[in-house]
Amino acid sequence: MNTHDIIIGMVGSGGDGIVAAGDILATASASIGLNCLEIKSFGPQIRGGESSCIIRMADRPVYSQGGALDVLLSLSWEDYKKFPGELDVKPGVIVVTDEKEVPEPLPLNGGLKAGEVFKIPFDELVKESGNPKAKNIIALGVLAELFNLPADSLKKSIQTKFGKKKQEILEANLKALDIGINYAKGQKLGSQLKFEYKTGKQLCVANGNDTIAFGALTAGCRFFASYPITPASEIMEWMGRELPKFGGTMVQAEDEISAACMVTGAGFGGVKAMTATSGPGVSLKIETLGLGSITEIPYVLVNVQRGGPATGIPTKSEQADLMQAVYGMHGDAPHAVLAPADVEDCFEVAIRAFNTAEAYQMPVIILSDQFIGHRKETLPPFDVNKVKIVNRKTPKNPKRGEYKRYELTDDGVSPMSYPGIEGGEYTCAGIEHNEAGNPASSHDIHERMSAKRELKLSRLAKEYKFIRRYGAEKPDIGILAWGSTKGVVREAVEIANAKGKKVAALVPQLMFPLQTELIDQFVRSCKKVMIVEMSFSGQFRHYLSSYVKLPEDIIHVKASGATMFGVNDILNKLL
Amino acid sequence: MPDFKHYISNLKPIWCPGCGDYAVLTGLAKAFAELNLETHNTAVITGIGCSSRLPGYLNTYGFNSIHGRAIPIASGLKISRPELNVVVAGGDGDMFAIGGGHMAHAVSRNIDMTLLVMDNNIYGLTKGQASPTTPLGSKTSTTAFGSISTPINTLKVMLGYNCSFVAQTSSVDPSHLTKMIVEAMKFPGFSYVNILSPCVTYRGNEQYQVIKANTNYLDGKYDPSDVVEAWKLVNTEGKYHMGVICRKPRPAYHEMLSKLRDTALSGRTYSIEDEVRLFNP
Repeated sequence: MNTHDIIIGMVGSGGDGIVAAGDILATASASIGLNCLEIKSFGPQIRGGESSCIIRMADRPVYSQGGALDVLLSLSWEDYKKFPGELDVKPGVIVVTDEKEVPEPLPLNGGLKAGEVFKIPFDELVKESGNPKAKNIIALGVLAELFNLPADSLKKSIQTKFGKKKQEILEANLKALDIGINYAKGQKLGSQLKFEYKTGKQLCVANGNDTIAFGALTAGCRFFASYPITPASEIMEWMGRELPKFGGTMVQAEDEISAACMVTGAGFGGVKAMTATSGPGVSLKIETLGLGSITEIPYVLVNVQRGGPATGIPTKSEQADLMQAVYGMHGDAPHAVLAPADVEDCFEVAIRAFNTAEAYQMPVIILSDQFIGHRKETLPPFDVNKVKIVNRKTPKNPKRGEYKRYELTDDGVSPMSYPGIEGGEYTCAGIEHNEAGNPASSHDIHERMSAKRELKLSRLAKEYKFIRRYGAEKPDIGILAWGSTKGVVREAVEIANAKGKKVAALVPQLMFPLQTELIDQFVRSCKKVMIVEMSFSGQFRHYLSSYVKLPEDIIHVKASGATMFGVNDILNKLL
Repeated sequence: MPDFKHYISNLKPIWCPGCGDYAVLTGLAKAFAELNLETHNTAVITGIGCSSRLPGYLNTYGFNSIHGRAIPIASGLKISRPELNVVVAGGDGDMFAIGGGHMAHAVSRNIDMTLLVMDNNIYGLTKGQASPTTPLGSKTSTTAFGSISTPINTLKVMLGYNCSFVAQTSSVDPSHLTKMIVEAMKFPGFSYVNILSPCVTYRGNEQYQVIKANTNYLDGKYDPSDVVEAWKLVNTEGKYHMGVICRKPRPAYHEMLSKLRDTALSGRTYSIEDEVRLFNP
């Protein structure tokens, strides 16, 4: 049986090199233009714990980790059992296992039965290779031969990955790949499942966190301050390596509040600045966000969402920081919230976040999540030349004493001075202020300033050009989703429509202010509405219903985090 | 040299008559004049409190921000715009209570800016609560039976953090005050000036007499580069020691940053297009 879309799961103990193997498959796919999605999952230990990954490879677009596994490589069944609900297999899954440990029956999730089972003498093969760490590469060789995976590309990936190390290490790994391939050939091992593919132009491989960082750099970000927090630290680390090459600075702050305040100071100084954190960090930064709103300072805050509340589940995804992002500040504090839906979207969203912050002079929150932040996807090479950059409006020839930082204008945006601009001196204040920026406590001024700041929000909702809609024009069921759930939703929509069921989905990018007309139009065009979200309390549904009239009989597909919706979870409710 | 009034705005201060902060405002303006600073290249960053209202009374750029956060806001500004003159200011509560966590790190980064703390041993703006430096046994609105916490010695704290420049002065002696601000601002690196600035409303007018009667001016015999002597000095009770207590320069943040960037570049230039290659398989 041939397939153009294969989903391989791999699991092993620390030191087995499962993650490295996954990375090699991902880069091998990208180098020949195959689409690939790689998801990793680990035990809680810092080193040496159980680790697993899911690799999906296809020569057609893929948007999610797909359904269950077609192939399972298990180097340790004890460790497989530590991932309940994560490495679900298809009935008749093809298993490749170390021959020295084959439990009867195989403890597959859901009590399912395997189809073909290939028992590989890894210990012997490792011995033959002379390299005790070669198990993972040998396994890749076996998989390549069994399922017709692109062996030449694997070789090339190994060369790239180990090329900078000693020659012996590179050669040892190439040898290990050959050992795996030759063993399978010698034993005449072949699966009836064969991966069939057409190659294409080379793609890039990236995860969401690195992509947001790169997007920010491209947008002109030159100051970044953060505090280490799972699952956002990679953004700070990327910035730390790259910003200095562009005259910028990354500062690891002493705490979350300091990071947000440093960014505020840089923004006050006319510099494009960003901070990145997760839920607990946003809670700490909330006051500073309000400060950015009332002082009308542009900057970007990234929240890579994880399981909450409090410490929650740091290593897994959830979508329950939406309410905090929208309503977390005390007072009425206009700001914007954007949500990327996949890794590629992270680049555009980062740039739009900066442009929005500059154009409307407000803090902008990017609501990503661990799933997008950490997974690797192949994507077309970033087109940095197509990018449009927006800079804040500044005053022309201001006169000190006459210049009004918070001048009431027709569009709510006042030309923003910053240190260095002669004649534009003003005192920026978190206290309510008049047009000149001096403290004011009267209702009258507060009402006018509130209106000014709110005007920017209502303009943004009208002016933000973006529609992401999939599926039938006049759907029987219309799905509303946001963030990483887009992947499974899009696939479910395509499969359902192919089966003759009229289904559509709308996935907004601008989460706050909400483009209510867009949502309302979509809701009214559907016979029934489904909402998909990873929030136990159903934050997205409650949020939407406060702005848009939702029907009574909504199909609410919700779950708390630390899981991934499968395509079938959606399809089962559609068909 | 410009007239110091060039740096003072038209906004009428909210401070009570007799407040020590008036002398700080004048002293700071005189320091700016002596250093011949441009108002548009100078920024005064404060948090929340009576003393934090300072920026509004100056003609420079200013940021009256949120409680306890003047130091990180100023840090972000100065790190990304090192050519600016940055002064951070606030009270003992803003800086050593809620803002206390930032001190050690501002010092450790050694960012080239000057911190002025207007120490009045009370929370004035919120009307008279005890602060980290309120003397033991004092009755305030939140210590009706007398304070039972031993006050922080802010000079010891800053010396303990290894601050390169520590000085103390007071609103009682305006010319000394100006002199200390000038020296602190001239110092390359993070400089701290503790200013005894009496709150006449909640601590009483007699504070001026008490400070005056118990001041010890450091003279030429005192060597501020000897940190052990400095530690002995700040542990000597009974007197308010005025002058430069510690002066031990080390490379400032922007110098280190410049070297860091050279290392990152290693002699080549980068473009955004180059960065795309980071994502190639």
